[in-house]
Amino acid sequence: MTKDKPSTVFVVDDDDAVRTSLRLLLKSVGLPVETFASAQEFLDAYDADRAGSLVLDIRMPGMSGLELQQKLNDMHAIVPIVFITGHGDVPMAVEAMQHGAVDFIQKPFRDQDLIDRINQALEKDRENRNGLRERDAIRQRIGHLTPREREVLELVTKGKANKVIAGDLDVSQRTVEIHRARVMEKMGASSLAHLVRMVIEADRAQ
Amino acid sequence: MATNAAQELEALLDAAVDAVIVINHRSEIMTFNRSAERLFGYSEEQVRGRNVSMLMPEPYRSAHDSYVGAYLNTGRARIIGIGREIAALRADGSVFPAALSVGQIRGAEPARFVGFIQDITTRKAAIEALRFERDRAQTYLDVAEVILLALDEHGCVTMINRRGQEILGYSEAELVGSDWFETCLPDAVRADRRARFAAELALQLPPQSESRAEILTRSGERRLIAWRTTALLDPQGQAIGCLASGEDITERQTAEDALRQSEALLRSAQRLAHLGNFEIVHPNGPQKWSEQMYEVLGLPRTHSPMTVAEFAETIVHPDDREHFFREWAAARAGLKRFDFEFRIRRADGELRYIHSQGTITTHPDGELVIGTLQDITERKHAEHELRVGQERLTHVARLSTMGEMATGLAHEINQPLTAIATYAQAAVRMMDAPGGADPTDLRDALVQIVSQSLRAGEVIRRLRSFVKTRTAHSEQLEVNRLVEDIRILAVPDARVNDVRLVLQLDPASPLVAGDPVQLQQVLLNLIRNAIDATCECPTALRELTISTRPLGDGVEVAVVDHAGGIPESVAQNLFNPFYTTKETGTGLGLAISRSIITAHRGKLSYRPTPGGGTTFYFTLPQLVGV
Repeated sequence: MTKDKPSTVFVVDDDDAVRTSLRLLLKSVGLPVETFASAQEFLDAYDADRAGSLVLDIRMPGMSGLELQQKLNDMHAIVPIVFITGHGDVPMAVEAMQHGAVDFIQKPFRDQDLIDRINQALEKDRENRNGLRERDAIRQRIGHLTPREREVLELVTKGKANKVIAGDLDVSQRTVEIHRARVMEKMGASSLAHLVRMVIEADRAQ
Repeated sequence: MATNAAQELEALLDAAVDAVIVINHRSEIMTFNRSAERLFGYSEEQVRGRNVSMLMPEPYRSAHDSYVGAYLNTGRARIIGIGREIAALRADGSVFPAALSVGQIRGAEPARFVGFIQDITTRKAAIEALRFERDRAQTYLDVAEVILLALDEHGCVTMINRRGQEILGYSEAELVGSDWFETCLPDAVRADRRARFAAELALQLPPQSESRAEILTRSGERRLIAWRTTALLDPQGQAIGCLASGEDITERQTAEDALRQSEALLRSAQRLAHLGNFEIVHPNGPQKWSEQMYEVLGLPRTHSPMTVAEFAETIVHPDDREHFFREWAAARAGLKRFDFEFRIRRADGELRYIHSQGTITTHPDGELVIGTLQDITERKHAEHELRVGQERLTHVARLSTMGEMATGLAHEINQPLTAIATYAQAAVRMMDAPGGADPTDLRDALVQIVSQSLRAGEVIRRLRSFVKTRTAHSEQLEVNRLVEDIRILAVPDARVNDVRLVLQLDPASPLVAGDPVQLQQVLLNLIRNAIDATCECPTALRELTISTRPLGDGVEVAVVDHAGGIPESVAQNLFNPFYTTKETGTGLGLAISRSIITAHRGKLSYRPTPGGGTTFYFTLPQLVGV
């Protein structure tokens, strides 16, 4: 899971012709493609570490596209989804957007529209994965703080003054200043604002 | 002089028409004139000196001597000077009635009597005849089944017979002398009848003039009498009353009224039904047509009835003539009932449909044909309208079913379109790529485009053939093929509703005859309903099975679901038109499906699916002769 690993477009559609034509199209623009004939097939092969995006038919026998999205959300999977819908499936598409889909596109579609959406999704995936890496780093740094330093971090990022923190922790103001400097150093924060942003980032997406 | 007087007397006696007999006091015959000889058959010589009682039959003979004796002793005469009718005895022993008058010859001593005897046989017979006539007349009056009534010039009853008394409920004594008009006529007609009576007396009416009027009986009942009256004239030709005979026609009138009514009823019924009846003797016998026959055929009343051959040649529509002759020949050959339809071209050029029924029996001059002709044109038109209406309704139901399946069908067409667009765009991109396209990839794309175009075209073709307006027709069908063919329309609907469709087709299913589109409509309707019932179910139950299997002399097609079954309240109305449980349903689907299957001589019904759910099924009879 390095930044350099190539992203894959995963296509899930039960219609052989649609699936095969999509594979051909995406291949023609140089995107790596893997296709699946059912949601279950994709789920069985799913690897959270693989970068990429999911092109998903919203209606399918057995597990539908919406059901697959729900399952992936339950697994905290971050793979961005572009839904393919038929006419009259707009209410379902709206539901899919509410549950975090990147976008949807109605069949039949212009190749460029689809490719643009797929690229958007791949970009989102890259961002997600970068964000994840950043968060992991912050959490690691937080993990290296002493219990007293973690208490100081919590109170500082709540915006409390050193004197107040000293009172709360029943230590001298000087001691607080020393802990605070060490926290700033261990976390690699250039300012208080930076420190607060890192804490918020670490708390996100539990 | 004395001799002369005796001779004159003798001549006188001989000339007398009556028999003259003179007897003495001992009843011995002294004189017996010529008429007496002729009357009794004795000569004077044979009877002279003999007792006159020889001329009398018993019991007069025995009584005679004592009678004469008594007269001589008492002087009291019983017949002398009076005359009486007696019985007399001829020489040949025959007895005849006679009128006898007796006189005593004065001055003769001892006494002498002269008797004059007349044969009254003829007169007696005439009187008898008269009496007999009178009695017979009375009998006639009394046995006559008509009222016989005589009125005097004041209108009072002078005679009424027994029948009249019976009808009126009065005795002869009560009626004779009473005012006829006051006693026996109801108020409403009294004045009229009096006026008529006056006219009768004034001799203003012809003899035996006829009239009808009601009379009033003693019990208050009214009877209708047909009167025949004639004036009674005196020798000077003056009317002195009238004689009437009256027949009680109350019942007959009622019967006549009833008959007239039923004839009128028949006429109007025939008019209403456009139905005429005929009775003809084929080929050249008498022809009888009812009034309505002319109306039905559009001929004037004055037209004479036609023979069958004339009818066929001039009235029957040329296109139906052969059919007409065939039916007619078949009925004649079998001497049986006929019942067939044909068209006619009426005189006014109008085309009408005719239904004819009747019987043919033998007749000395050929065959007796009795039957009816009915104009059924309106019924034919109505039937046509009905058929067209039903076809339209069936079509509407089909469209409606299609409408419900539109989402799935749109999807089914959208899929190949999407594939086509995507393949084509991929091909373009491949060709635009530096170094050009791989010919194999390009070829694959083009082959797929063709195949997907055909796929979309097939869906549209099925859809069109299913929804287009058409006239029902029957053809030979494989049921399994029918199910396979409907699959392309049913699967998308199942797909969009996330319902699996499973086919279980028994290869042994027989051929049937029917309208493929109508049967597909039924099947699609059952599948559609099953999908609706199923789509709320958990995934495991979202499966429909469509099965075929041979059953008895035919085949059963079933659509099996595993949904919740049919609530009792719904089941009661399930096949009623316009009953629906769906928000957008027409309520026509099942009603029309059932009528389609019934028209195919099959049966459409349902039963519970073992383990839950409902199985709708229909049967179709095997195609005969295959």
